Amino acid sequence: MSNEHVTEPEVNETQNVSPLDDFDTAETVSTAPVSDDSILDFDDDPLSATSVSKKSLVIFFLIDTSGSMKGKKMGELNTVMEELIPEIRRVGEADTEVKVAVLTFSTEVRWMYSTPIPIEDFEWARLRASGVTSMGAAFKELNHRMSRNSFLNSPSLSFAPVIFLMTDGYPSDDYKEGLRELQTNSWYKFGLKAALGIGQEANDNILAEFTGSKDTVVHAYSGGQLAQMIKIIAVTSSQIGSKSMTLSDDTNHELGEEDVFAAKQKLLGQQIQELVSTQTDGDDVPFDTGW
Amino acid sequence: MIELEIGQEVEMEFGGKAKVLSVIGSGGQGIVYLVRFNGQKWALKWYDINKMAKPAAFRKNLQNNINDGPPSNKFLWPKYLTKEAEDGTFGYIMELKPDGFDSFVDILNTYKLEIDPLTGRAVKRPVKFNTLGAMVTCVINIVNAFRQLHRAGKSYQDLNDGGFFINVNTGAVLVCDCDNIAPDGSNFGIGGKPGYMAPEIVRGIAQPNVQTDKYSLAVVLFKLLFRGDPMEGEKVVRDVCLTESSELKHYGQNAVFVYDPNDDSNRPVRGIHDNIIKFWRIYPDYIKDAFIRSFTTGITDPSKRIIENEWQKLFIRLRSEIIQCGCGRTNFSSMFIHQNEKTFKCPKCGMEFVTIGFSNRDYRTPLYLGCKFYSCEIIPESDDFSAVAGELVENKLKPGVLGIKNCSDRQWKAKMPDGVFYDIAPGKGFPVWQGLEIDFGEVKAQI
Repeated sequence: MSNEHVTEPEVNETQNVSPLDDFDTAETVSTAPVSDDSILDFDDDPLSATSVSKKSLVIFFLIDTSGSMKGKKMGELNTVMEELIPEIRRVGEADTEVKVAVLTFSTEVRWMYSTPIPIEDFEWARLRASGVTSMGAAFKELNHRMSRNSFLNSPSLSFAPVIFLMTDGYPSDDYKEGLRELQTNSWYKFGLKAALGIGQEANDNILAEFTGSKDTVVHAYSGGQLAQMIKIIAVTSSQIGSKSMTLSDDTNHELGEEDVFAAKQKLLGQQIQELVSTQTDGDDVPFDTGW
Repeated sequence: MIELEIGQEVEMEFGGKAKVLSVIGSGGQGIVYLVRFNGQKWALKWYDINKMAKPAAFRKNLQNNINDGPPSNKFLWPKYLTKEAEDGTFGYIMELKPDGFDSFVDILNTYKLEIDPLTGRAVKRPVKFNTLGAMVTCVINIVNAFRQLHRAGKSYQDLNDGGFFINVNTGAVLVCDCDNIAPDGSNFGIGGKPGYMAPEIVRGIAQPNVQTDKYSLAVVLFKLLFRGDPMEGEKVVRDVCLTESSELKHYGQNAVFVYDPNDDSNRPVRGIHDNIIKFWRIYPDYIKDAFIRSFTTGITDPSKRIIENEWQKLFIRLRSEIIQCGCGRTNFSSMFIHQNEKTFKCPKCGMEFVTIGFSNRDYRTPLYLGCKFYSCEIIPESDDFSAVAGELVENKLKPGVLGIKNCSDRQWKAKMPDGVFYDIAPGKGFPVWQGLEIDFGEVKAQI
């Protein structure tokens, strides 16, 4: 029989090669081998298999729920987010398990659920607006949770997360301090960052500080635009985030690390700008008028 | 015009209009719609030409493919082009996926999501092959489809798990997304899907061609049989986060097969890659060796990659080595006890299976009630792997007596216990016995 062909994987439990950069990964490859050496003592049904191992992608939504979001903005946002979930479900295909985590910030900072939820099971809990805009606190909380010991604890491989910030106003706390903390986080560094400013008050420069470039910042001035922009950013970023690098067309030389560094973030910027330029919805009444 | 509206009419190149009914799905290059054209329902793929490098050349290539027609009926081939819209956008229509086919992605996931129309909730429905025979037949069909395509001088370019529909009951295969197919040597901008792309494409030093198709085909076959990624093992998982540079490293510059016999740095990890660990124990050596070759020497030397004809022979052999035991256990002969040179034994119930040796193979084939052999196995010039030539059956008039029925259209000769060869006409049969010899013409067989 084929006893002699059985190859047991050698998984080294103790050795820990320093992983790429500083993703906090002390216990990365620590799955204990189960002892099943007897050839007939394992499920040898060639038709029974589990799903292929998937890479994990967490999409973080950081949503401003301060008092100024009250009314039409929040109503629009809640509706779009409900509609968005089924659209994101499709992007994972067989390779990626997509999860969603929603962090809201007003006077307080709060997660919608205590852990990222698989997109198949995710249900949007309608948000309400009140209080001030503690964006710095939100950045600190995000930094705290974007860790192998917390929200990014998938035992298998992960893609860098998608982080999508939506706000309509100027931070009421020291956002710079929060951002400085966040910027030390490797998941943030490699993550796909995009931001949406809602209405006149939102400051695109602050948003660009958060995303690292102006390309991934867009602005919505009306309800129709808000819906469009949220969809464009969320769908595009989760598509790019869940697919890994794609080849550029005009490469005539062997790619090096510098060629691919932040390739996804750049691609996201390009695609967002392309899509935004084709969608102009001027007929809507701006958020900030008619109050 | 990136997106079409429901109800919108799109003009076809040679007249008539296709009316958009609903969205079927979206991909990297565009969106697929359900449309009505000439009283029939079709799928319309509508391109986002902003994402195309050379839309005019792409359209011309599509036109050529439509004119050439599909290499075989295993392809959901582009049928008609639309007119170009004012802004240059266009699309093509193709036949719809027939009922009874599931996507390869669903098979890899082991389920598909169906939306309950009342609640809007997603419900999981299991998707798996019904029989081992259907699964191996599916593999043979995939390999054969690409053999036909490559023989026509074309390459698929973007071979990945999204490219197939599969009937899990029969193993029938339909190759879809045929719009990037191009003459070998040309490329209209598609790179491929990560994980399926040949390392030289990932590294940026080659464009898709027939040789890179062969690499991608090996990945598809590996995923189907071993249910995992051939390059994702310990080495890759240690990176925790698959950034662009780790992708370049693990799938391009330093791709290491999880079961590379000379490099154990990237073995599958228990708890994450359990499928691969399990199936590596099940498949026979000649299958594993073919994957080892594809993913070791085949990484750096594209000419060492397994050619489709070779895969086809290996999987036809694998199909002939499936044993269905009376106790219900169905597996490859590699998972039965090799009792002696000529007999296999079921490790579960102890039932023994005699084998038959064909003059055109250097391995013996197990016999069991219901086992079949095919035209290509007994006629040297035949490439027909789906026409049943013979089957092991029970004599309807003498219950308990097993024999081989001639299901082919040729006359055979078989040696009976009296030592004499008798003619066996199509539709007739003969008993299986210790000294049985069969003369199929050029190919002979012996118990």
